[in-house]
Amino acid sequence: MMNIAELAGRDSHSRRLFMQQAAQFSLGVSLTAALPSMARAQAGTADTGKAKNLIYIYLSGGMTHLDTFDPKDSKGVMLGDDPISTNVDGMRFGSQLVNLAKHADKMAVINSMSSQNGAHEQGQYEMRTAYEKLATIVHPTMGPFLEEMIGKRDSILPDSVVVGQSTSNAGYLNPSRSPLPIADPNGGVPNSSLLTDDTRFERRMEIANKLGKQFVSKYDYSGAKSYVEYYNQATTLLKSTELDAFDISGESNREAYGDTRLGQGCLLARRLIENGVRTVEVISGGWDMHVGIDTAIAEKGQELDMALSTLLEDLESRGLLDSTLVAVGTEFGRTPNINMNGGRDHFPVAYSTVLAGGGIKGGQVYGATNKEGTKVASDPVRPRDFIATIGHGMGIDLEAEIFSPNGRPFKFGRGGTPVTKLFG
Amino acid sequence: MKLFSLTRASASLLYGTAIMATLSLSIGRADARTWTSVADGRTLEATFISLEGDTINLKLANGNDVAVPKSRLIPADGEAADRFAVLGDDSRVKAAANNIDALIAGTLKKNDVAKFNAPLPDDLFARRVYLDIIGRVPTREEFQRFAENARPDKREALIDELLMHPGYASHMFNYFADMYRLIGKYAPQGIRSEPYIQWWKEQLVDNKSYKQIVTDMITAEGNLGHNPASGFLLRDAGMEFDAFSNFSQVFLGIDISCAQCHDHPFEDWTQMDFYRMAAFFGNTQRTTGGYGMSAATLPDAPDGWEEEFTAYAKANGVPIDNRQMSQRFTYYVRALGWNLTDNDALEMKLPHDFRGGGGKPDQVVKPRTLVGDSAKTGGMTLRQGLAEWMTAPENPRFATVIANRMWDRAFGKGLVEPVHDFSDEQIEEAMHADVLKYASNMMRGVDYDLREFMRILYNTKVYQTMATAVEPTSAKPYLFTGPVLRRMRAEQAWDSLMLLAAGPDIDQRKGRDGSFLRAVLNVNFEEETVEQVFAKYKAYEAEYRDLGAGVVTDMNSISPSQPDLPRIGQMEMARAAEMIQPAPAASLLDTFGQSDREVTDAHNFDGSVPQVLALMNGDITERLTGSSSKIVLELESLDAPEDKVQAVFFTVLSRYPDPEERQLGLKMLEDYGDDGIRDLTWALLNSPEFLFVQ
Repeated sequence: MMNIAELAGRDSHSRRLFMQQAAQFSLGVSLTAALPSMARAQAGTADTGKAKNLIYIYLSGGMTHLDTFDPKDSKGVMLGDDPISTNVDGMRFGSQLVNLAKHADKMAVINSMSSQNGAHEQGQYEMRTAYEKLATIVHPTMGPFLEEMIGKRDSILPDSVVVGQSTSNAGYLNPSRSPLPIADPNGGVPNSSLLTDDTRFERRMEIANKLGKQFVSKYDYSGAKSYVEYYNQATTLLKSTELDAFDISGESNREAYGDTRLGQGCLLARRLIENGVRTVEVISGGWDMHVGIDTAIAEKGQELDMALSTLLEDLESRGLLDSTLVAVGTEFGRTPNINMNGGRDHFPVAYSTVLAGGGIKGGQVYGATNKEGTKVASDPVRPRDFIATIGHGMGIDLEAEIFSPNGRPFKFGRGGTPVTKLFG
Repeated sequence: MKLFSLTRASASLLYGTAIMATLSLSIGRADARTWTSVADGRTLEATFISLEGDTINLKLANGNDVAVPKSRLIPADGEAADRFAVLGDDSRVKAAANNIDALIAGTLKKNDVAKFNAPLPDDLFARRVYLDIIGRVPTREEFQRFAENARPDKREALIDELLMHPGYASHMFNYFADMYRLIGKYAPQGIRSEPYIQWWKEQLVDNKSYKQIVTDMITAEGNLGHNPASGFLLRDAGMEFDAFSNFSQVFLGIDISCAQCHDHPFEDWTQMDFYRMAAFFGNTQRTTGGYGMSAATLPDAPDGWEEEFTAYAKANGVPIDNRQMSQRFTYYVRALGWNLTDNDALEMKLPHDFRGGGGKPDQVVKPRTLVGDSAKTGGMTLRQGLAEWMTAPENPRFATVIANRMWDRAFGKGLVEPVHDFSDEQIEEAMHADVLKYASNMMRGVDYDLREFMRILYNTKVYQTMATAVEPTSAKPYLFTGPVLRRMRAEQAWDSLMLLAAGPDIDQRKGRDGSFLRAVLNVNFEEETVEQVFAKYKAYEAEYRDLGAGVVTDMNSISPSQPDLPRIGQMEMARAAEMIQPAPAASLLDTFGQSDREVTDAHNFDGSVPQVLALMNGDITERLTGSSSKIVLELESLDAPEDKVQAVFFTVLSRYPDPEERQLGLKMLEDYGDDGIRDLTWALLNSPEFLFVQ
């Protein structure tokens, strides 16, 4: 088996050819599609963020806010352990977050998130797109949306990657904007070594393309057409040395991130950002703690603690923290009362999210819940406000509209109000 | 036959127009068929009654019965008798199919559309029905047998043959596994639900009435060993309201989930409606069998049983005091207690933050149905009452929902969409409202026999047309001039690749079987001694293979009846339905969008870069196009290069190459020999056409 990337590295002529192709296709995106549909707001002005990259850590299942970023003094609410103090006066975390406690000065915690969605799918959808899940349209997640607004970067690598998920889509945007899904962060890009030598591959691909074109000329379906696009993208990717960006096997701090999907996913995210990917979503499950939350949070809390604290350190030491916005989101919080199964149930009434890096002023807590954690007491933040805050951090004009193929207007953050106080 | 009365009665109710009145006349009676003598070509008009050995019993128009030996009739008649013996006579099927065609044609005419899409040629027909009915492409031999068959009844014969094929239930299972969110392991309790999965397969293999399947699921009691159908309600233990939202979507086609927290913003459903309907499960107790350090809950067992059983186990060598070492024992006891009962001490209460009208927070709610007449619960349990109400003829939604879903399966688009959430107005105003009503009545007419229902759809002319060339948009209702182009389901792609790699043997391979787990969990606490139960535990323990620290809660390994299947990479070479449900993330099935079974109908049909990379460079493709490629080896018997090229097209795309493609293939063969054949195979696999059902 032969990897074209190896050839490409050795032969400057073919390498240049590949780069030309890349410019033409840049992962399958045609030149017109590569142009931004909307101008980015003037970067560097006082009222927009300065972040260039985004890592969105999504904790699927509904992170218990009370046992992580919004601990309470009430014994009836807490599991047993006392909250711990952090390196910022007045900021306290759940007892599992011992390492993160040393990085509170980099973090802005929002403790007044509130949504209307008590179901996972709907909640996750809104926390990743700012829009409600409807049966009539699919909204893009932030990666494709940012690419649509800012334009594809001049790189063979995709503009956005989603780690921990094996499928993805670009919603109503051109399918070429779909994030590249990497199900297993340790697996790299699966199936990225050719079965045959280069010439034979070309010869095979030529026939396949011919048949493919014939097929899509018979059927005018976006789904069928997108496959032609995906074959273009895959071919370009195979020819690039940038594939190495997906390989974390040589990273020295793998252990520090934790031997978990979340930890290794965060490490991959950092590596991809370093190599020019703009947006990486890291999806990690296991937070739906209806049953036996004491044992569950011990495991997942530590997982989050190691992954996020190491990510922040790593980005900082590489000088990437200022340009990379790190966000932690989830679909809802969990009930203050412990249920009959020793777990906490869904609680969209109040929950927490975290922002760090990318111009965020660390060491602050925004909003609050009441003493028992049963409702938001001040400064409520809706999912759309949270997404708008991220958009603001990324320098997006939140008033600019983009349009779906059937002409419906959409805004990054769905017209939500960014929490500008979080930025320094 | 029920079909007779119901369909005819409803047809005359529904269709006032002259054309429908005439059509409805032909629907009820099983029509006579022409039977032909093999000796002299003479014919006989008679209705099929039964097949006994090699004797076909027929009824003549004058009412007399005749018995005709198969050998006296032409082969086509003998084969028809074989099919009818299993599936029943097909004259009603044809009549119903004609009616559907007429209804659609009528609507097309009203909309100034002249006719259906062009008729589907034989090759495309073969590929489509193989994929639609048994979930995989035909083998080259199967394809050729059909393509080269000149009999006029070959299409209906193939449809019947495929409906009797084991692949039918396997492919149907994939659909219901998505709709009912079937998973092999219920996290976080770590309980394997293979008995429930196995139960689903059995229902489909036996072609049980859908109404019965649903009734059995709703009314089940006990644990997975007592009654595996209990897996349906146990699926959402701890998330009862989510369970109810799913319930409503799946059975009634109403997504009422928003009314859980507030009155529905667009529909009439109030928050009170939600809880009244959910109250049918108000006394349903799902025990989770204990978790963490807590003791198991065994609602069926006499007081003190668990202590007695534990003491017995300890006396017989189970290291009870060591939590790590006694884990298997703990899992077993918990699985016993994973149970469904009716507990009349339980009531449904409104939530503490209830804000809708008609009730106050924490108030007890009485069950009331969402639509139609109210359920009668006298003399039966709440759940029995609910099941009766739901499946009663007075509640049309149940039949409409499943009829529309089956229509969607055949045509790639529902008559009303989305299939899990549509209003009564949408039903009335649908482009083909008459077809929807007809299909709904037809579903009841065939008594929820899904195989018979699908048999009718596949026999319509409108199904047997080319896929519509332009994708329908949401801007304009679809006219149904034919099926739409569909990407294969992940399971269809996988099963087809498996077929290419391993041959039709794949249809016979069995994977996990839930019967072992079912047997060891089927404990009668009143009658069995602890010694007898302990023997079941020991059987369980013996089959439990430790998979290592990371997966100790995984009972995945308890499948002694699971044969060691050949593998490609990590994946077992078996059909999707025989594998772990759902297939692991990053498996090829997952890559092609198999539902993660978290929510109903979550299958994803989008393409992606990893999908095409898998087809370009993956293990399967290596197997299919490498030096030991079965496909290529099988071509050795063919001499003529033309035949070889054609055979590759038959194998991968199940169609004839056009002249240009033929030339292209011949050139490959000429330039590169067998390598050229492999390249051609690769190219056909990697043309988007492979993944689509035309």
